[in-house]
Amino acid sequence: MSVGAMKDQWYPVGLISGVTEEGRDSLLLGEPIRIFLDGGTPAVTGEGERPLPVELRYGHVWTCPGTPTRPLFDIPEADQLGRRLVDVGVCRVRCSPLRAVENFLDIAHFPFVHTDILGSEPHTEVTRYEVGIREDVDEVWATKVQFFQPQAAKSAEGGITTDYMYRVCAPTCSVLYKTSPPMPGEWDVIALFVQPLTETLCDVWPWMALYDDDASMTDLIHFQQLIFVQDRSVLENQLPALLPLDPGMEIPTRADLTSVAYRRWLKRNGFTYGAQLVAA
Amino acid sequence: MQVTEEFVLEGKLGSADLSPWLLRHAGKLGLAIALRVQTDERLEMTLSGAPDLLDAMEMGCLLGPYDIWVDSVARIRSGCRNGG
Repeated sequence: MSVGAMKDQWYPVGLISGVTEEGRDSLLLGEPIRIFLDGGTPAVTGEGERPLPVELRYGHVWTCPGTPTRPLFDIPEADQLGRRLVDVGVCRVRCSPLRAVENFLDIAHFPFVHTDILGSEPHTEVTRYEVGIREDVDEVWATKVQFFQPQAAKSAEGGITTDYMYRVCAPTCSVLYKTSPPMPGEWDVIALFVQPLTETLCDVWPWMALYDDDASMTDLIHFQQLIFVQDRSVLENQLPALLPLDPGMEIPTRADLTSVAYRRWLKRNGFTYGAQLVAA
Repeated sequence: MQVTEEFVLEGKLGSADLSPWLLRHAGKLGLAIALRVQTDERLEMTLSGAPDLLDAMEMGCLLGPYDIWVDSVARIRSGCRNGG
């Protein structure tokens, strides 16, 4: 599979706080990279020690293996006072990076995979919501999403109907906005930054910007890690391993509208690294 | 409940793969399908079956085979039958 248009996108490659002088080796879109401190500043090189562009944002080091076609996407909430910014860490998953993002967008799995945390039976219905591509920023947005959750966040006490918005702002990055239990009228932000190591292996770097003055940082991290570890076992057993852009054996339903919009957006932009183009 | 709807697809539809793909996908969903008009930019077909499965057909059409691009799917209900 050609890397194609995905070569010119931004990707997370590590926590800013985790970069060392000695550095470490990693992969990006199947190519070797190295992340290290150069004069105290994080730097990234590609094959042949070619310097790659670097951005430091949202607690992470970002790079682009090609020529960036646009700046790194903006998450304005990252600069709002009163939010706690949480670098969750890394979770390696044996799945397509596109599958990891698609799973993040899937509300319908909450009661079955995150039972009694993000969902519970019999509250399994996904009510109708709106999905579209915002042409001015070329992002997928799902809005007016509502779902009942027994424990929507670490700070939630008891079940609440949670409002959501989903945003796909890069081929392997998605941001979820959800009702903030302690701050009605504000959104908690949970982002999934995915580093595509290969077409079937990725490092997932969740990041959060929350209103929560009570929970310890350790508890916040453990809560999000628990959610993602539950997802990992599902992700690593999905077939086909690559994300199909032709539905083929899968039958998407109206509850999958965000996933359908994401796949259409990938197809339209030629973001096909990690995708299966023709149904098996 | 069984309903019959006219589906009108618009976009870049000039692929020989599209018609067989639609017939196959409708078959997987257990829908009755009749293709009526197909040009490189527009396809009209009649589909009958359960409403949720017609919704699933719409989702499938939005993706379609890789070498086509569907801009829009318009649906017009033309019949409705309870039972069966």
